[in-house]
Amino acid sequence: MKPELQLFWIAVGLYGVSTFSYIFGLIARQEKLFTLGLFSALAGFLPHVGVIALRWSATGISPFISISESITLGTFMTVLIFLIFQFSTKKLRPLGVLVMPVAFVLLGWAGTLMKDVASTLAPALQSGWIWVHIVGASAGFASVLIAAGLGLLYLLKEKNSGGLYEKLPDLAAIDDLSYRFISGGFILYGLMIVSGCFWSNQVKGNYWNWDPVEVWSLVSWLTYGIYLHLRITFGWRGRKLAWYALIALVAMIVSYWGIPFSVETFHSGFRIEHT
Amino acid sequence: MDTPTPSPADNQPEQEAYPVEPRYHPIHKIPRKIYDFLASARLAMVLLVTILACCISGVTLWRGAEAGRMVFGALWFNSILVLLVVNIACCFFGRIWGRRVTLISFGMILFHLCFVSVLLGVVYNSLFYFRGIIRLTEGEALPSGDPRSYDSYEQGRFFSFSRLKGETTLIKMHAGFKIGGEDKRAAYEVAVGEGGDRSKGIIYITHKLSHHGVDYFNDREGYSLLVILSDNQGRELYGGHVPLQSIRQKNGSFKYSTGYRDGETVKQDVILFPPPPDKPLVALQLGYILSKLKERSGDAEFALFPLDLNDKPLFNMKIAEGKSPIGNKFAAGNYQILAKEVRYWVGMTVRYEPGNAIVLPSLWVGLAGMMITTIGRILRGRRKRI
Repeated sequence: MKPELQLFWIAVGLYGVSTFSYIFGLIARQEKLFTLGLFSALAGFLPHVGVIALRWSATGISPFISISESITLGTFMTVLIFLIFQFSTKKLRPLGVLVMPVAFVLLGWAGTLMKDVASTLAPALQSGWIWVHIVGASAGFASVLIAAGLGLLYLLKEKNSGGLYEKLPDLAAIDDLSYRFISGGFILYGLMIVSGCFWSNQVKGNYWNWDPVEVWSLVSWLTYGIYLHLRITFGWRGRKLAWYALIALVAMIVSYWGIPFSVETFHSGFRIEHT
Repeated sequence: MDTPTPSPADNQPEQEAYPVEPRYHPIHKIPRKIYDFLASARLAMVLLVTILACCISGVTLWRGAEAGRMVFGALWFNSILVLLVVNIACCFFGRIWGRRVTLISFGMILFHLCFVSVLLGVVYNSLFYFRGIIRLTEGEALPSGDPRSYDSYEQGRFFSFSRLKGETTLIKMHAGFKIGGEDKRAAYEVAVGEGGDRSKGIIYITHKLSHHGVDYFNDREGYSLLVILSDNQGRELYGGHVPLQSIRQKNGSFKYSTGYRDGETVKQDVILFPPPPDKPLVALQLGYILSKLKERSGDAEFALFPLDLNDKPLFNMKIAEGKSPIGNKFAAGNYQILAKEVRYWVGMTVRYEPGNAIVLPSLWVGLAGMMITTIGRILRGRRKRI
């Protein structure tokens, strides 16, 4: 097995340990398991970085192009933001109950799709906009996943009391934090869409063509736009928005990875028919 | 609801009543009803959910061109988008009326204004745009302002071909073009314009050529064979470049042949040679097998068929079929046929969309508006906690 694959599956394994630590920690109400989960996530993050670095150094081509690479980057950004958040505030230890299982499943899925690193980059992808685009997409996903995790904590705290739930911030604070992450995700998705428009305009001369990738990105953006509208204009708070954040996350994963990479679009690179 | 709400004290955060309703209302009854409908937060929500549902159906129930016809290109869907923009304009106007400008409201204004300016840009484009596909063989020049130079084109109501001055020339197609170590695969060396007012440059997939607001993008390319038909005494009867289609084979390779594009698929077919309006002499099916050793060399494959009185090919009476190296003659009944040289043809997209100058910057303004609003809300949240 290649070193990059070994590192990859070590990362997946450690995220798995983290996942089960968080889940059992929640079931058994054992905070120590959350700590184990957090440090397993940190331990898994290191080989995760190593995989990206190895693939990148192999050809010098940014390894964020294929679906498995895109998922790998999305989970990388998620775990990075999650770790930063967890080490900067210690009040939301159970947050990993949603974040780490999603990261674990997605990275495992990426492993089943992984191919050798590309030796060349399709000409259409040789654009500076790709950086803005993928950072917007992956950081946006990380933000809304953490927001959904906060939504889950909100629902758990609302239903349960005592023990570890007592140590969580009050419901309004969790709700507000979730909203902030959604706002951040909305902006980052906006950045992804705007940079995608400029990129498409650079390559094809049109900024919007209603192709499936564009439409699915709009679906994600509108989903969170509606969330913000419900909160700001209609005054929704608390439980309803927590559920909304959780359901929207499913739509998000489908729209991000489920569909766009299954149809031939801009993301597949361009066919040069004489080659 | 009837009169503007007085501004709150500067040091107090504003208290909202949900759903947030406009503060500005026209005095007269009918305009007021129309305005209140257009400025309604509920209308905004209905429109957002409808657009979301349409988008999901446009990528699940229908796909590709059908989705364009059924949803995204349909008048009703575009009317919903326009109604949303009108709703946004009325909403933000009504809500900033009589309200002090804060970081939050300033960001909101930018964000909502961006939708309005994007719509204006789109409308401007729709009136003045031009999009065409021009196909040229290396060394060929076509008049830019002649509609016949384009394989296909569409234009806005107020676009005039006089805007496209001079000629479009394909100087050379560079295969395997590299720049800064990056393989751009195909690049077209192009000149556009007339007299001293010419722009010349190389275009590749991430680099266009612009001339007086008209943009030239690379689209697709193929091989073109210079074919000369002679009688069996060697007298030349006709010569011309025959562009070949690239037909993808099951194993992923390409076959280069005369043919036509049928939607997304390319089909092999004969062409009349010489092509109309000249009097055709034969139906020709031409293929090219490229050499892996040397660029622009290899073999040409020929199949010639006679024509009936109506210039329809008689496929059951084949004149000859075979192949010969590029530059060598091939004997075909009473004719000799020669594929003299290989050139490239390219298809370029020509676009004139003046509204993009409004649309694209507006997107950044909108994004900036989102960020300013979010920062404002975070700061307000902190102030509340303090």
